[in-house]
Amino acid sequence: MSLLRVEDLHVEVDAKPILAGIDLEVRAGEVHAVMGPNGSGKSTLANVLAGRPGYDVTRGCVTVDGEDVTGLEPEERSLRGLFLAFQYPIEIPGVSNMEFLKAAVDAHALGRGEDPPSAVEFVKRARAAASRLALNPDFLKRGVNDGFSGGEKKRNEILQMLILEPRLAVLDETDSGLDIDALGVVADGINAFRDVGNAVILVTHYQRLLNYVVPDHVHVLANGRIVRSGDASLALELEERGYGWLDA
Amino acid sequence: MAGLTLNAGSLAEALLARGPASYAPWLDRGPHLELIEQRALPELRSEAWRHTNISRWYQTVLNGNESVAQSRRIEFAGAVEVVDFEESRAAELLELRGDELYQLSAHPIAALNAMLLGAGVAIRVPARGGRLHPVRVVDLPASYQRILMIVESGAEAELIEEPSPFTHRLVELVVQSGARLLHRRLQAASPHRDCSLVAVRVEANANYELAQLSLGGDLRRNDIVATLSGESAHVTLRGAWRLDGTRHLDNQVAVHHDAPGGTSRQTYRGVAGGRSRAVLNGRIEIAPGAQRSDASLSTKNLLASDTAEVYAKPELEIYANDVKCSHGATVGAIDEDAVNYFRTRGIDGQTARSLFVRGFLREAIDDVETARRLGVIQ
Repeated sequence: MSLLRVEDLHVEVDAKPILAGIDLEVRAGEVHAVMGPNGSGKSTLANVLAGRPGYDVTRGCVTVDGEDVTGLEPEERSLRGLFLAFQYPIEIPGVSNMEFLKAAVDAHALGRGEDPPSAVEFVKRARAAASRLALNPDFLKRGVNDGFSGGEKKRNEILQMLILEPRLAVLDETDSGLDIDALGVVADGINAFRDVGNAVILVTHYQRLLNYVVPDHVHVLANGRIVRSGDASLALELEERGYGWLDA
Repeated sequence: MAGLTLNAGSLAEALLARGPASYAPWLDRGPHLELIEQRALPELRSEAWRHTNISRWYQTVLNGNESVAQSRRIEFAGAVEVVDFEESRAAELLELRGDELYQLSAHPIAALNAMLLGAGVAIRVPARGGRLHPVRVVDLPASYQRILMIVESGAEAELIEEPSPFTHRLVELVVQSGARLLHRRLQAASPHRDCSLVAVRVEANANYELAQLSLGGDLRRNDIVATLSGESAHVTLRGAWRLDGTRHLDNQVAVHHDAPGGTSRQTYRGVAGGRSRAVLNGRIEIAPGAQRSDASLSTKNLLASDTAEVYAKPELEIYANDVKCSHGATVGAIDEDAVNYFRTRGIDGQTARSLFVRGFLREAIDDVETARRLGVIQ
């Protein structure tokens, strides 16, 4: 059974149509890349999967493990294993990364009907994930994204992904604004996360990340539709030829 | 009674007919009596009382406050000297205080404190007191109260005002040269109406730190006057409040830099929900000659409902040319993008908002445990 199924998805933002009939199927163990020019609807797709407010689904549906999640709240989707790594992570001064992560982990544990992990156990997990991403343990004590560099914010998203262990991670331009070393670290994090039981959607402008995290499928979005799908070689072709030739 | 407002004039009549309190008869109540005789109590809606209906407080003054404690409870240990204002030693300690720490004309309702005073305590922290335990003022058994504390040169002290009912409380503090005072004010939610004045003089190289946590009252007004009187004095003022229902909190703060090289840091964070009203007027005055003063004030406010009101006004008055001053005031709603960010991680909206509010307030809170116990944060 497919992990994620998107069927005929139409989405409007402020009554303006952005997605005009998306069909997408993602199976466990797969990595999909969604590429496309600016304004093609890539970020809208990522956000609407996470249930972000302000995106109106006017037609179609999204199912996760066979369950229709189209009408679910963001937290309900999270508890069903959906994860969005934000393109622009929000800064929340005063709330430490540690307490934010603990609140999320506790919510997930309760959602599964389990006891939340002990503080000691949690800190161990958080530290292990931080060190995998070459983040100083002090990083966990700082306010969520507060004063983080662009690269730190992106690594922090991956840190959350590693700790929450979602079924499906949607990474919205997680590679943008990263230098080559940080890109390597983030890619290592994604590869460490990959598993036969989960799946990843990489929303990206560039082929660069796909050298590190090789996708099983590549989709090109234009004007709110998937106009071309292929394997990893499609991304290379786009890198070489741009998006223009697809219109022809 | 509906529609009935008590004006300053008729309150003055009533007070003059009643005469001054018999408590601590050695106190010089001359200037206070004079102020009342001259009908100089603030009128309804006078500038300093724009956001607080003083006639509602006058009503309490006239009718009395039945919620006050029955006995005095002050906890302290070590070499601290604590005497009741009734004792003659208190007069000596008042002498030690020196000049008045505030101007009566600027704080006219302090005249009511003097006239009606029923409980007071004078505290001296000696210069070489060794390791000092906090002085905890739990209860004072009267509606009109006074706390005087002198921290002698080089000493370190902590004063904690526990939540306790009063109608007016005057807190006078002197932090002598090189001394340090941490002053915690814990103001629990109250169905009553209270006003207080904290007046502090911070001498050369001394350090005064205020940490005020408030939940507001039916009417609550805090006036705070801090004077940096000696060179290189340092003042840190922190205030955090969370109001709901119809709670009211009016903070009027003035920091006077009267000597060179002083630094002052003010940080206020407040959340107002329901139909509550929160006020913070913060004034920084830098006197001629107070060169190299460094002052900052930051107040940020969250409106947690459409019907809450927040008034935030920083004011600067600078008469020296070599100074550093900054201030900022913001009023806004809870950041829904932040709430959504939490939610995408599985945290429900209500928990997300409360985490956000806690984080917001924490910038003005140094003691999270106490703030939680009081209920300012969850």
